[in-house]
Amino acid sequence: MVEKQEAVASQWGNVQNAYQRRADLIPNLVATVKGYAEHEQETLTKVTEARAKATQITIDPENLTEENIRQYQQAQAELSEALSRLLLIQENYPELKANQNFLALQDELAGTENRISVERNRFNQLVKEYNAYIRKFPQIIYAGLFGFKPKAYFQAADEAQTAIQVQF
Amino acid sequence: MKIFRKNKRCFWLFFLLFGVAAVYAQDIPKPMYPPRLVNDFARLFSPEETRALEQKLRAYHDSTSTQIYVVTVSDLGGYAVSDYAFKLGEEWGVGQKGKDNGAVILVKPKVGNSRGQAFIATGYGLEARLNDAYVGRIVRERMIPYFKENDYFGGVNSAVDAIIERLSGEFDADGQQDNGGVPIGLILVSVIVFIIILRLIFGNNRHINNGGSNRGGGRFIFFPPSGGSNRTGGFGGNFGGGGGGRFGGGGAGGSW
Repeated sequence: MVEKQEAVASQWGNVQNAYQRRADLIPNLVATVKGYAEHEQETLTKVTEARAKATQITIDPENLTEENIRQYQQAQAELSEALSRLLLIQENYPELKANQNFLALQDELAGTENRISVERNRFNQLVKEYNAYIRKFPQIIYAGLFGFKPKAYFQAADEAQTAIQVQF
Repeated sequence: MKIFRKNKRCFWLFFLLFGVAAVYAQDIPKPMYPPRLVNDFARLFSPEETRALEQKLRAYHDSTSTQIYVVTVSDLGGYAVSDYAFKLGEEWGVGQKGKDNGAVILVKPKVGNSRGQAFIATGYGLEARLNDAYVGRIVRERMIPYFKENDYFGGVNSAVDAIIERLSGEFDADGQQDNGGVPIGLILVSVIVFIIILRLIFGNNRHINNGGSNRGGGRFIFFPPSGGSNRTGGFGGNFGGGGGGRFGGGGAGGSW
């Protein structure tokens, strides 16, 4: 039981790492876009703000409750949305669109979104195993006693939370 | 009335057949048998091209244990090209277990008015050197220009060169041995020792002289079957298929 709990905890770490990776890319992206698209100040500010907000929320693996995960997801979803707006503006700036650095950042960003979804799926899988385990017969009697509570899942992506589409 | 009934039956038969086919189309194909690194399901390469690619990849695998799979499919079965590549890499176990040094070059050719798509998925172990940005550049600059000219071999070949160039010196061959469980050298030595012992016991008068083929046969017996990797037979040697490498979403792709 402890192992299963630990597996969930470490996978949660992986999930947060994947999100952190995305957050780390953003200052670079913002700087690159700024050089080409000065008039998009508003979009850029929104991304920076959303990033600041999203990085503030981290969850200790001990407290993986539905409420906490929902908040976390909410903040990350807002960042996703701001980011996808930022990526949309490239259509208006052909020079930006062709910039090598920008292209590279987009690849990294797309890769990060892929990693996020991989890690999230693994996390849900492990939570499922853990939850099923502590609800099975002999364990259910003492699991609660020792504080092994069911953990919450990542919710399936609704529209705002789907990975941003990066166009190539 | 009879005809109608017959038709109805035909209809159900068709429905069943296509229904089953549709369900199967959703799945990632099994690797070709015997195991090989070039799995050209979409038949984009000529036999010579396949051989040349296979030879290059096999040589690279033998010297570095890094597995670069080239897979072409004519249909992605409803998956995003990236998901398809990760799933395939994970299911086939591309790369060595523990090193995760596998890569999947997936090509879905342009057919009619459906866009061509390509994706290079990198295993965990390759992500450090082959980061997504670099892979994206390979796809954009070294694959798609060829693909636009319908030169699928040219694009894949140049991408393979780019990957090998980038990875040079990152891994060495020892990982291969993790795969079989028993080092190849040890097996060879024990086969030779076995033959010598046989000779000592039975003398030279038995028809044990054709040691060459004996050794070949011996290998099959001595290789223990290990999970997922089946070493018997093979394209021109002992490639054992995927080694259990894992993928975590690294890689990049493009379309044309």
